[in-house]
Amino acid sequence: MGRPPGRPHRPRGRLTEAPPDQSRSRPTDTALKRRLEARLGDQLAGPVRARHDTTEIVVGPGNLAAVMRALREDPAFRFELLADLSGVDTGTVLQVVYHLWSPLTPDWLRVIADGLPREDPRVPSITFLWKGAEWGEREAYDMFGIIFEGNRDLRRIYMPPDFKGFPLRKDFLLPDDAARSPGMGVRYMEQPVAPAETRRQPVLRTSPGTGSLVAGAGHQELVAGETAAPALSQGEPGP
Amino acid sequence: MEVNETTVVMETAEAGADVAVAPASSVVSPIIVPSTGWSAADPAAYNGGRPPTITHLAQLELEPKGDNGRWGALDVIPTKADYLLDYLRANSLWPLLSGLACCAMEMMSAATSVNDMDRFNMFPFRASPRQADVLIVAGTLTTKMAGPLIRLWEQMPEPKWCVAMGDCTCSGGRYKRSYATVEGIDRVMPVDVYIPGCPPRPEGLIYGMLKLQQLIVGRRGQWADRRVGPTVPAGV
Amino acid sequence: MTTEHTRIRSLDDPHIFVDTPATIYDAVPPYPPTTEREAEFYSLQDGEMLINLGPQHPSTHGVLRVVLKIDGERVVDLDPVLGYLHRGVEKICENGDWHHAISNCDPLEYIASMFSEAIPVLVAEKLLDLEVPRRADYIRVLAWELNRISSHALFIGWLALDLGGLTPILYGFIERDEIVEMLAALTGQKLLFNYLRIGGVNGDLNHEFLSRLGDWMGRAGQRIEMQQKLINENEIFVRRTRNLGTVDRETALRMCLTGPPLRATGIPYDVRRAHPYSVYPELDFEIPTRTEGDSWARYMLHIDEIKQSLHIIDQVLHQIPDGPIMAKLPRLLRVPPGRAWIAFESPRGQYGAYGISDGSDQPFRLRIHDPSYFNLQTVGLVTPGHLIADTMAIMSSLDPIMGGIDK
Repeated sequence: MGRPPGRPHRPRGRLTEAPPDQSRSRPTDTALKRRLEARLGDQLAGPVRARHDTTEIVVGPGNLAAVMRALREDPAFRFELLADLSGVDTGTVLQVVYHLWSPLTPDWLRVIADGLPREDPRVPSITFLWKGAEWGEREAYDMFGIIFEGNRDLRRIYMPPDFKGFPLRKDFLLPDDAARSPGMGVRYMEQPVAPAETRRQPVLRTSPGTGSLVAGAGHQELVAGETAAPALSQGEPGP
Repeated sequence: MEVNETTVVMETAEAGADVAVAPASSVVSPIIVPSTGWSAADPAAYNGGRPPTITHLAQLELEPKGDNGRWGALDVIPTKADYLLDYLRANSLWPLLSGLACCAMEMMSAATSVNDMDRFNMFPFRASPRQADVLIVAGTLTTKMAGPLIRLWEQMPEPKWCVAMGDCTCSGGRYKRSYATVEGIDRVMPVDVYIPGCPPRPEGLIYGMLKLQQLIVGRRGQWADRRVGPTVPAGV
Repeated sequence: MTTEHTRIRSLDDPHIFVDTPATIYDAVPPYPPTTEREAEFYSLQDGEMLINLGPQHPSTHGVLRVVLKIDGERVVDLDPVLGYLHRGVEKICENGDWHHAISNCDPLEYIASMFSEAIPVLVAEKLLDLEVPRRADYIRVLAWELNRISSHALFIGWLALDLGGLTPILYGFIERDEIVEMLAALTGQKLLFNYLRIGGVNGDLNHEFLSRLGDWMGRAGQRIEMQQKLINENEIFVRRTRNLGTVDRETALRMCLTGPPLRATGIPYDVRRAHPYSVYPELDFEIPTRTEGDSWARYMLHIDEIKQSLHIIDQVLHQIPDGPIMAKLPRLLRVPPGRAWIAFESPRGQYGAYGISDGSDQPFRLRIHDPSYFNLQTVGLVTPGHLIADTMAIMSSLDPIMGGIDK
């Protein structure tokens, strides 16, 4: 694999895209970009970007409800169809990403609610606009721990209700990462040392568990030197 | 992550079972991501997980009979009748409808017109576990589903058999390292036939079921102790 | 034999329920309600009852558990419980390559696996800004439309099966088996094809596939007619699906419905026309819509879509060009950093995927949005007021597949 074993999956490059003028697909809708900047300019937290067929805006969590309402109800926008609602863990902060569709523009619109701190990620819920977003928000809560204020039903949807931890966060390590098991891939098999003897990388120390979240949530507390799996007994060194 | 009681119990049970070959490699115990969502049936006293509380059945359980003391006071078991009974059971296996995921598609395909399981008298997929003989677990077993599946298994009356269909049920398959799956259903219930494949072809499922029929007929009434626990060495 | 267990006990006896302690799998959760909706749902009025339509049930959509609150035979409210098939696909995709993600995403929509493979493929191609050879594009469309027909044939069968008709499913499986046998001749697998590649497809059309396809095309129209004739005019079927689970346009948009349930309410939204991808702009097909919005309309819409798919396959076979089937890509594929959103039309609706790449060969985040996930929320909205037996009819008509819903 492209990643040395034992380290949590951190982004190795930038998460921003290459300049848009090399895109092969049709040019993006600049009229939409101008409309967005005109009507929502003061509420956006960054420039309106466009690549391929998606226009992207970034908002802070405080402005999200107003921005989404404007996007849905303003006749110049009419982004009536919510295509997706997902959480993202960038390694440092959490984000919620919405994708919208409007009959007025050939572009998709991506709204990123950025800058949610890991300890207390709160974002207003958009279930007052789209009732169907309720389960999307439940899933983002289940997988990332993001609290959607205003969602009447914010409980775990995939994992059992007494599950501890948020699986899609970058500090939730699968046994793969933590224990350097044979499931890691080719690079592991090339290592001449046994797993019990490989150098243990310090693992990310997570924030203290957020006891305020429902259903007994909390991250796994890992300290430097520990791994996230039950302790392997010390066996003989490998061949 | 704390090593909770469930993990410790499972590891001890696997170490104690004689199916495991003493590993020569240095990885000694399988990696189990502990889940608090369910707890496995006790493998050491597998007769349904919980001890029976109905007293007269409990007395029967304590008697040392071959198949859970069902014959009661009959100590003399006629061999020919036993053979006949097994033959009858083998040729009339009624599976439980327990398709979980993709393998369920191939199981349904094995049951419908093109690959007909009805030829082998296995068509009636019963919806209720009380009426089913064989539990074909088809599809990935997740930790959340493990509880209900074990409950289904326990609700099925003896004699019952379990068939692990597909890679996910045999060993965890492509989801072996996931945080939410059980690595093979033999961690939670005794399996008689493993049918590998992702998904196995319907012909493969039918072959597995025919093997199960041979197994039933071949046992001649004496069922081997069925263990819960992976049949691969602990170090793999 | 003692009679301890048979004597009459009062409901105040503390030992009466000790043998079966409540677990998290029982209908009423053993912990106090944690959300408003839970409190509202799990508090019963006079005469109401909670009943568990458990994760194992004879309706073959997969492991979906629905807790029904019923008053007699009428459903007052329902609470679907998901997650019984949650396998952690998104997390596993983050740990592997973009190529591994193809086979990891395969079992999401396990009846129409070409669509679920398209998720990482189209996302990576968008991030790479890659142009796929036209022949590969045509083969993809062919495979997609074949999968769509097989999925819809099964949908018809399952809808009838949930209403009690046991024959149409056999016809559906004949169709599906023929289609997957020809796809097995093309891809090597019957179910989880692992056929699409980033930059094209895995293998070219071969003689076996084309001869099977030709045979099947000759009979396909008649066979589908035969299957639907069994139930179209069947009075029981019509009375059990008409005006059942009606969704109107505004509700459909609010519930984020896509796919046949949305088009059955009258909104002609189909990703193949709204955001054309692959070679769909060059193909001539209509978007069938209906206006009633009930289960009957959704069912008839699936049949209309099968006919459109047959038409598309016809055009593809006439227009397919020669050429390579795979773009030139390095073995170790480093996808440039960026974010990409793709959407395509699967038999269940609009499949979306949002991929973030950090410049390495592993996806940083591959978000998979399955249409049945949002579609299934409509069940909670339209079922209250109907009978218990209608629950499955409504759920079947929304065509959920738990592999995609639970990921």
